[in-house]
Amino acid sequence: MTKTKRSASFWLSLLGAGVIPTLFFLAYVIKPERCYSQDWDKHFIQGWQAFNAFLLPMFVILICSLILQIEYKNNAWKQVFASPQTIGNIFFSKYLTIVFMILFLFVVFNIFMLLSAIIPNFFYSKFTFLTKSIDWSQLYLLNLKTFVSLLAIISIQYWLSLRFRNFIVPIGIGLALLVTALILYQFRWAHIYKVPYAMTVLTLEGALETRSTGPVLQNHELNSIGYFVFFSVLAFLDMRYRKERG
Amino acid sequence: MSTAVIQTTDLSFSFSNGIKTLQDVNLFVPKGSVYGFLGPNGAGKTTTLRLLLGLLKNQQGKLEIFGKEFSSNRVEILKRLGSLIEQPSLYLHLTAKENLDIYRLIYKVDRNRINEVLKIVGLEYTGKKKTKQFSLGMKQRLSIAIALLHQPELLILDEPTNGLDPNGIIETRELIKKLNREHNTTVIVSSHILNEVERMASHVGIIHKGRMLFQGSLPELQHMTSRQSALQIETNDNDTASRLLQSFSLKRVNDKLVLPFQTREQTAAINRLLVQHGVEVYALHAQQDDLEQLFLDITSQN
Repeated sequence: MTKTKRSASFWLSLLGAGVIPTLFFLAYVIKPERCYSQDWDKHFIQGWQAFNAFLLPMFVILICSLILQIEYKNNAWKQVFASPQTIGNIFFSKYLTIVFMILFLFVVFNIFMLLSAIIPNFFYSKFTFLTKSIDWSQLYLLNLKTFVSLLAIISIQYWLSLRFRNFIVPIGIGLALLVTALILYQFRWAHIYKVPYAMTVLTLEGALETRSTGPVLQNHELNSIGYFVFFSVLAFLDMRYRKERG
Repeated sequence: MSTAVIQTTDLSFSFSNGIKTLQDVNLFVPKGSVYGFLGPNGAGKTTTLRLLLGLLKNQQGKLEIFGKEFSSNRVEILKRLGSLIEQPSLYLHLTAKENLDIYRLIYKVDRNRINEVLKIVGLEYTGKKKTKQFSLGMKQRLSIAIALLHQPELLILDEPTNGLDPNGIIETRELIKKLNREHNTTVIVSSHILNEVERMASHVGIIHKGRMLFQGSLPELQHMTSRQSALQIETNDNDTASRLLQSFSLKRVNDKLVLPFQTREQTAAINRLLVQHGVEVYALHAQQDDLEQLFLDITSQN
């Protein structure tokens, strides 16, 4: 984690988490009279909708590439591979760093979303945020399901970023796949639940529908886990059996 | 026969383009030696060193370090050695101490050791300066500090004096000699600078176009060169001197007389001969670039 100190990935997390809450904050503060009907439910749902569709997958695509680029840029892979760590250790420690940054993003996003509602309420008492309670279990479930649906993208991008030294290639591929997935989602493709890059947006749709009924994890979320296992194993074998390291 | 810290048997390697980068390389690095791995650029030095560290997958031949086969004892072997391959691998957005801290955790080394190694390489006053602001010499020294962190028994250094100024070169050389002398650290240093190798190595291996052309102790190599050494004489009267030394295969190069060196006794006899005939001898010494000539001879034959 020391390696991410003062690196781009830390600032990106703060920025990524801050964009949407800032927009909400501005809306509440600039045109408060239009927003008085807003409650916690709508506030979070709308916030996550915006977050899940594009911003979150994009963030994952970038963070996977950035964290691995710390090594590429500094010519450090050879020093990492010449150190007394098993390949498994090297593989998982990088993976964990990425997951940690994503969890950090989630936490910061939640905090910013809370603040973006609470702070305007101090100035405009007609808002109901401070008086109504938050459905914490729903919020927790939303976070969990979103994270699970993100696993597929994380594993694919990790694999791509390990395979390609070039910064742009994994980002380009990820972006292309993401845009394609969103287009297929718009067209309500029957097999959309199998498309990894559409899974976060499907989760939010599912969360709205299956509120208190239905299984915790839906089809596409289970598929996400499946993709995650497959691509993680693929990426590990790639690292383990590569002819040239560093 | 001393024990080998590094021993390769018929090591061969080709990159995906099919060209054989290494062919039947039999490296023998004795314990406690400073092994100078010499060769022109593109000879295969870095490829060999990368194979020793597992950065390239071994294709053909055996590779043993500390008497153990590399691929099945990778982590154990890597714990006992430190390396510096090609350009420094430093995290430019971090300070010297932070860089060392990262490796300290991997090598499970005490925190105090960080200040110790910084002192050894002379970087103890860099403070909060980020590595991207370091000069090349400082970066090289920090890389050596990282390699020394866990007090390795073996140091693998790929052209460690690359890009350093003369002071830096001398400091690095003295550091290597000191580590070898005081801690019995075995050091393998690759270089294409002959003079440097000659001043610090106890053993030399010469590689060219992927093949080992010579391997042995430095005295052995120097013995080879003495057979081809030359004696250089400066006098006030080269004509008389030439006449007196006619029986030797004398050459006149600029204002100096050059003849093949045989023995030290013969050198003294030549001096006596010239002086007895009234010739003033200003200088009488062996030519210094023998190793270079030998190296060129060895590598041009192949």
